[in-house]
Amino acid sequence: MNVVLFAVLTLRELVRRRLVAAVALLTLVIVAFTAWGLHRLATAVVDGAPIADAGVRGTAAGIVIMLAFLFSFVVALGAALVGAPAMAESIANGEILAVLARPVRRAEVVLGRWLGTVLALAFYIAVAGGLELLVVRVTTGYVPPQPLTALAYLAGVAAVVTTAAIALAARLPALAAGIVSALLFGLAWIGGIVEAIGLALGNARLADAGTIVALIFPTDALWRGALYALQPAVFGALAANANANGTVVNPFSVTSPPPPALIAWACGWVVAVLAAGVAAFRTRDL
Amino acid sequence: MPDDAIAAHALAKRYGRIGALQDLTLRVARGECLGFLGPNGAGKSTAVKMLVGLVRPTGGAAEVLGKPVGDRATRARIGYLPELFRYPDWLAAREVLAFHARLLRLRDAARAIDTVLDEVGLRERAGDRVGTYSKGMQQRLGLAVALLGAPEIVFLDEPTSALDPVGRSDVRALIERLRARGTTVFLNSHLLGEVERVCDRVCVVDRGRVVAQGTVEALTGATRGVRVRLDDGWREFDCAPAEIPDVIARLVREGARIHAVEPNQTTLEDRFLALVAHA
Repeated sequence: MNVVLFAVLTLRELVRRRLVAAVALLTLVIVAFTAWGLHRLATAVVDGAPIADAGVRGTAAGIVIMLAFLFSFVVALGAALVGAPAMAESIANGEILAVLARPVRRAEVVLGRWLGTVLALAFYIAVAGGLELLVVRVTTGYVPPQPLTALAYLAGVAAVVTTAAIALAARLPALAAGIVSALLFGLAWIGGIVEAIGLALGNARLADAGTIVALIFPTDALWRGALYALQPAVFGALAANANANGTVVNPFSVTSPPPPALIAWACGWVVAVLAAGVAAFRTRDL
Repeated sequence: MPDDAIAAHALAKRYGRIGALQDLTLRVARGECLGFLGPNGAGKSTAVKMLVGLVRPTGGAAEVLGKPVGDRATRARIGYLPELFRYPDWLAAREVLAFHARLLRLRDAARAIDTVLDEVGLRERAGDRVGTYSKGMQQRLGLAVALLGAPEIVFLDEPTSALDPVGRSDVRALIERLRARGTTVFLNSHLLGEVERVCDRVCVVDRGRVVAQGTVEALTGATRGVRVRLDDGWREFDCAPAEIPDVIARLVREGARIHAVEPNQTTLEDRFLALVAHA
């Protein structure tokens, strides 16, 4: 019950502090810009003739993946910058003192803040991601293979980064918790590239290092899930072919979705890190 | 004892090698108003935070309303105004109180909120956002939050630090009303005159240790000597408090015209300064 109360408080704060309005405005500008660019692509004339539909859709598929990649960074940064202050600011400024003197479990504060932040980000991903995909469809006629699955994976990325930000903010100031969780996301992405290079070169140590990073911070596995859900089958086949030849490593295509064990690991990771955050907050003197 | 609102025995808190509070032993009876005094850094706020369950003791034990400190159910019967009072500036005062009412599971929340808003004189501005409030108004809101749900014990950590003289007078009156209702008040304050006026007992801490405890009367009161204003100005006479009427009678017999008589008193401030004289 109190978890919901803190989640609602978090959501209200985001609305009242005009963060939602600012992000909505910026997102609309980006969506409009994308629509304009894709419309120009669809109506472009090359050598006196319009680009063939297949060409437009192939290009659109590539653009969707690039947009999703940038979007995953925006979502991860958003999770770090919203999640960390949601938890740490009320501790730093003393707002939490009168609240925790009530019959409230500290775990309820942590879980409520987490739930509110994840719900806000999931809503943003659904609306902003959905709008972008709608614009792509209307302007170019291209629809990725599994758009909803991709958005769900991106929500997973948001959940992982939010979990780290909130768990760290149970002990650290907002700035430190936000920066560390954003850096961990970047590190995980680099780890994914290292793993791909290791696999392509047949270097087991390199591949293992990447895998370890993916286990420590499982956002890259989730990003790959989003990538797999967005890329047309032909992209995956080309990637598989490139891997077989040991030629090119392309971080923007994958040959298979993340295995269920890795998804389960990511879910377990969220639960474990959140539990660690709760334990850290429960033992903190305020 | 079952009638104790607070019973602390050798309560202590250390932060690494620094002892924030050592060996705090005190009892506060139900309905009593205790003034908790000490210079800056004496451990007063740490003591309050331990009693409301925000800081874990590193030694000793304490009970509030018959339950170990921090007991979750008991916290519904406690009101607390932190020294560092701050409330979400994007909420209206009424919304802040509604949030706390939900945490307390108050049944008739609207009425309880109106009651405390009236109590602290914030009813007219209750719909305004906290961000538009002066510091004094925010402190009044903090008091309203502490009083919500008619707690059996109220911890007030420097409740008048941001208030003007009118606000301080209001808070004194508020504490008097709480006492009249039988609410226990734990008042942490630097304003010794304030404590002297409203508290039954006083506990003085210094450098983490209790240096004096007792009723206000026991710590203050009449001392040797009396000042008398005669036609030619003030004169001081050395005598025991009980001998003052005799001194005055003798002066009258001798034909002196007496304009004023001031028995020498030890104020709480005198006593406090003597206790923490090292500073």
